[in-house]
Amino acid sequence: MTAIEVNQLTRAFQSKRKAAGLAASARALFQPEYNTVEAVRGISFRMEAGELLGFIGPNGAGKSTTIKMLTGILHPSSGGARVLGFTPWKEREKLAFQIGTVFGQRPQLWYHLPAIDTFLLFGKIYELDDRETQKRIDLLAEAFEIRDLLETPVRKLSLGQRMRCEVAASLLHRPKLILLDEPSIGLDVVAKQHIRDAIRRMNQEEGVGVLLTSHDAGDLEALCKRVIIVNHGQIVYEDKVSNLKRKHLTTKLVEVRYAEEVPANFRLDGVEILKVGRYGVKLRFDTDQTAVDSVLAHLSGVGELVDITISDPPLEEVIAKIYREAAPASS
Amino acid sequence: MKNIKFLFALWKANLQAALEFRAAFLTQIIFMMINNGAYFMFWFLYFDKFKNVRGWTLQDMMLLYGIAATAWGLAAYFFGHFTTLGEVIANGRLDYYLSLPKPVLLHVLASKSLGSGMGDVIYGIGSFILSGYLSWDGFLRYVLGVLAGVCIFISFLTIIQSLSFWLGNTVALSQIALSALLTFSLYPSALFNSATKFVLLTIIPAALVGTVPAEFVRSFTWSSLLQMSAGALIFLVLAVSMFRSGLRRYESGSAIQVEV
Repeated sequence: MTAIEVNQLTRAFQSKRKAAGLAASARALFQPEYNTVEAVRGISFRMEAGELLGFIGPNGAGKSTTIKMLTGILHPSSGGARVLGFTPWKEREKLAFQIGTVFGQRPQLWYHLPAIDTFLLFGKIYELDDRETQKRIDLLAEAFEIRDLLETPVRKLSLGQRMRCEVAASLLHRPKLILLDEPSIGLDVVAKQHIRDAIRRMNQEEGVGVLLTSHDAGDLEALCKRVIIVNHGQIVYEDKVSNLKRKHLTTKLVEVRYAEEVPANFRLDGVEILKVGRYGVKLRFDTDQTAVDSVLAHLSGVGELVDITISDPPLEEVIAKIYREAAPASS
Repeated sequence: MKNIKFLFALWKANLQAALEFRAAFLTQIIFMMINNGAYFMFWFLYFDKFKNVRGWTLQDMMLLYGIAATAWGLAAYFFGHFTTLGEVIANGRLDYYLSLPKPVLLHVLASKSLGSGMGDVIYGIGSFILSGYLSWDGFLRYVLGVLAGVCIFISFLTIIQSLSFWLGNTVALSQIALSALLTFSLYPSALFNSATKFVLLTIIPAALVGTVPAEFVRSFTWSSLLQMSAGALIFLVLAVSMFRSGLRRYESGSAIQVEV
């Protein structure tokens, strides 16, 4: 079943343009000039119910604008979208009963009140009866490990604790889909892990679909099965995360340590030598151009191996490469 | 009915948030009562010299202040964002309300409570009681007048601040409009010529939150009741329509915000 269907969705904004200085300000008062900026340019995609979909891109790529159109916050300039069968900007209230949203930079918990009070308020907003609200709070408190935090005023929680409460609040009404806009922004490694674990658990146990925007490739690796990469308001890549890795993670990083000194003129065909130390070397090669076994055979022929590490480059590098490759065509 | 329950839940949350800072909450209430009392001193001094002003006595002025203060106080306490709606729109802070399944305008307005409003309410009720118009039917008319006033205050400022959807920042404009509305609402329309009276019933509906309800409490007339209720209804419809039509132009924003 399709949860989200987006068809040629476009959103343009008008922004005022003014040269520097007082004279330009005075001129702009009578003859204002505007630029039209297309934040989202005709994107189309589908998301299935219960899917974990990553929607990533650099700053200004159009991720948040897309999410805001899909929740009914913004009206599009053109194009269409159906979310759980609703047109978001026309049936916003009906849709809001079925989805949860978290904007990393826009807290929804009341700042001066303990989180439990916002949870109870949300129970009323989502028209749950008191017993159902309490049951959900108990379940979410356990899943997100926030039981001890619920009665502390939100202003006194750490960012990580607050974000766990934020995501939990978005799931109070048992939504079919949650849209998370940068939920891990500013969080440390442990806090990110906590949130990822809880989201994965809610996906598995309740079948809630997750559309996640993030800068963090770690979120993508840990949570998402499929990824859409956007840049300059357009989709530049769409595939399974496993395919992204298989197709683009062809470069290997190798670090070798030897029992004896490495010859100073250490060279290897088809391999980029990054560093040659006294007892070790660091190199990089592309598996499409150079066979792994020939590299390993050569390395073991140089001397007695003490240690060897073979790793993929960080996924972030791969994604940055995709941004760069897409940039000239779409700019 | 569900929206009424939701409103009560919001008001409860507002009260809980205010009670987190009890001293500030109580201080605001007390100082607003003192402020209103000090403002009214002018009329004590005036009526010490003159018996009435175009038929309005000290008691009538107390009634006028009582109605306007109670209406303003109720609006400020229960729908506190009605003075800052323009900033919410211009700063892209409607996102939170748009992502929840409730009527946006109602939700925004009731999400903030100005503690000082309770000071106005207490002062207003006291002023009404001291005005000498307290009777069963007088009280009923006072309640109707106050409700019309609440509706006019909120609707008028919503209309002005909804211009933010088109103009961007309307903070200065809404402050001027607010100041004009409040200032003129505290003077009887009898002081003004007919052109000004017309302005005070339409463009700046100050008479609809001051003079007209006060005259209605002084003596029931169908004309006052009609002016009050039609005025409140028209301004309410205009406010809701304008806000809704502006919402289509809403541009959101990326500023960091917190819900207090």
